Amino acid sequence: MNPEQNGMQLKPIRKSVPEKASHGLFRERAPEIIEVAPSTLRRRTRRDLFVFGAGAIAALAVGGSQLPQRVLQRLGVDQGRSITPKDKWLLNKAQRLDDDVAEALYSPNRLVPTYTKSQITPLKNNYNGATPNPGYISKWRLTLDGLSSGVTVSLDIAALLARHQIHDQITRLVCVEGWSAISWWSGLRFDDLLHAYPPVSQAKWAHIESSVNLDANGNPDPYFVSIDLLTARHPQTLLATHLNGQPLTAEHGAPLRLLVPVKLGLKNIKAITRITYTKDEPPDYWAKRGYSRYDGI
Amino acid sequence: MPHSTQERIATRTPAPQPRVRVVRKHNVLVRISHWLNIPLLLGLIVSGISIYWASPIYQHNPNPQTGAFDYFADAGIWICAHLPGLRDYASPPDWVYNHASLGPYMLAPAMRLHWCCAYLFMLNGLVYLAGVFAGGEWRSLLPRLNDARGALRIAGYYLRTPFMMFRPRRRNPPHFNTKYNPLQRLAYLSIPVAGLLSVLTGWAIHEPMQLSWLAALFGGFDTARMWHFWLMWIFILFAVPHVFLVFVDSWDTVRSMITGWSTRLEIGSRANEP
Repeated sequence: MNPEQNGMQLKPIRKSVPEKASHGLFRERAPEIIEVAPSTLRRRTRRDLFVFGAGAIAALAVGGSQLPQRVLQRLGVDQGRSITPKDKWLLNKAQRLDDDVAEALYSPNRLVPTYTKSQITPLKNNYNGATPNPGYISKWRLTLDGLSSGVTVSLDIAALLARHQIHDQITRLVCVEGWSAISWWSGLRFDDLLHAYPPVSQAKWAHIESSVNLDANGNPDPYFVSIDLLTARHPQTLLATHLNGQPLTAEHGAPLRLLVPVKLGLKNIKAITRITYTKDEPPDYWAKRGYSRYDGI
Repeated sequence: MPHSTQERIATRTPAPQPRVRVVRKHNVLVRISHWLNIPLLLGLIVSGISIYWASPIYQHNPNPQTGAFDYFADAGIWICAHLPGLRDYASPPDWVYNHASLGPYMLAPAMRLHWCCAYLFMLNGLVYLAGVFAGGEWRSLLPRLNDARGALRIAGYYLRTPFMMFRPRRRNPPHFNTKYNPLQRLAYLSIPVAGLLSVLTGWAIHEPMQLSWLAALFGGFDTARMWHFWLMWIFILFAVPHVFLVFVDSWDTVRSMITGWSTRLEIGSRANEP
């Protein structure tokens, strides 16, 4: 190769500051001055502009295609002609990766921080729809299915409270929206219920439902979450009956709600009416609406 | 003796055609990560503002007339009331969110976009670090003892510049004997530091239970959210003068971030650099 074409590899011809100034690890080094044929420089500039320009166009295409349909319509890119994919494959991949990372970070032995009573903060009723009429509470029963005994068990709140030890904890509930609240929760450990009514041996998941959940217009809209049994067995995962020393009100999921501080608030299902243990991952209300399936925090 | 070597080369090389002299300014990994920051930070900011909207940190009691309770909504209402052509805007409280984010009620897609950009941003940070160490450029970013004075001198020069058109004779920028001037060093170092803090506070509010020690380091979950919010503004506040000064400065500066080399041979930097 002749030296003109290999211009950038030429040895530096001169240091612009004396050799002595270059000593010391942290001291700025003088730049190497390179002599190069103008044609080489032009060629390399063209090449780099092309490479970086192509990269920019590729980034714009991939990034743009991943924006939500509604945003693309607002920008005037996609006027209902569906030129952009509805399936946001890259974002779905990122969500799966993030779920895997959250699952890898989870440790069954790591306890979440606990607080003192003076640190308790107000907890708002964040029912997504209307709050159910408290009338359901007196007729409430919990159904357990997918048990190793093969039978379906139906329990009332008195039976649950009589049989299990009540634990107290003051922990933080973190909502997917970004707010959080510290509350004093009391209830039985989910782990104790799993020991009292063991699930089928292959079970890895609990499908927890609330049939009393309502939508914004007050119509029935059953709520359901998926909880992996590893999380259900965590010592701070409670089936809570009391909030701040008082029995749960309808706003907070009377008479029994899930309190799982290692998950986002949306997994902390209120007014549980049914728990089904399954081998395969059950559906989840918010995962169906584009949120994470795992929600580990 | 540097002179004798140069003479020897000169006598040995047969009649050289005219050549240009250049210096290497940016490692290729630094250049790649620099440009990748634009789409990644844009994606992080627009999705981040959509996530912020779900539960704004800075809110007040709902305004009895508009029902708005957060300051971005107030800003939207003000903009629609004062800018011509926006008087009939459908939902003034959403104006800022419709123009600076994915829009309100976009929490689920915004979080996916945020995770996607965040993982790529962390990878890009590693690419940057690899480049900045491979090329030895990290030395040019280290703060020096009297940088505070120098940074103030340049900031003063920038602030006076708009008035210099009346006194063109006095228009000589402060000169420093380093690759970057003190204000540049401060700005270019604060960006990777802000990037690192954004990543750390991001993890603190993403995994506040498994990484509760990290959340505690930033004053707990709620305070870490505020850190994360204000760190966004560092990138925005950096980008505005950065882009402006690139256009004020010469093509050589933009080109050096694409090709890596510059025809400005002297180590000293003038104030007019981005």
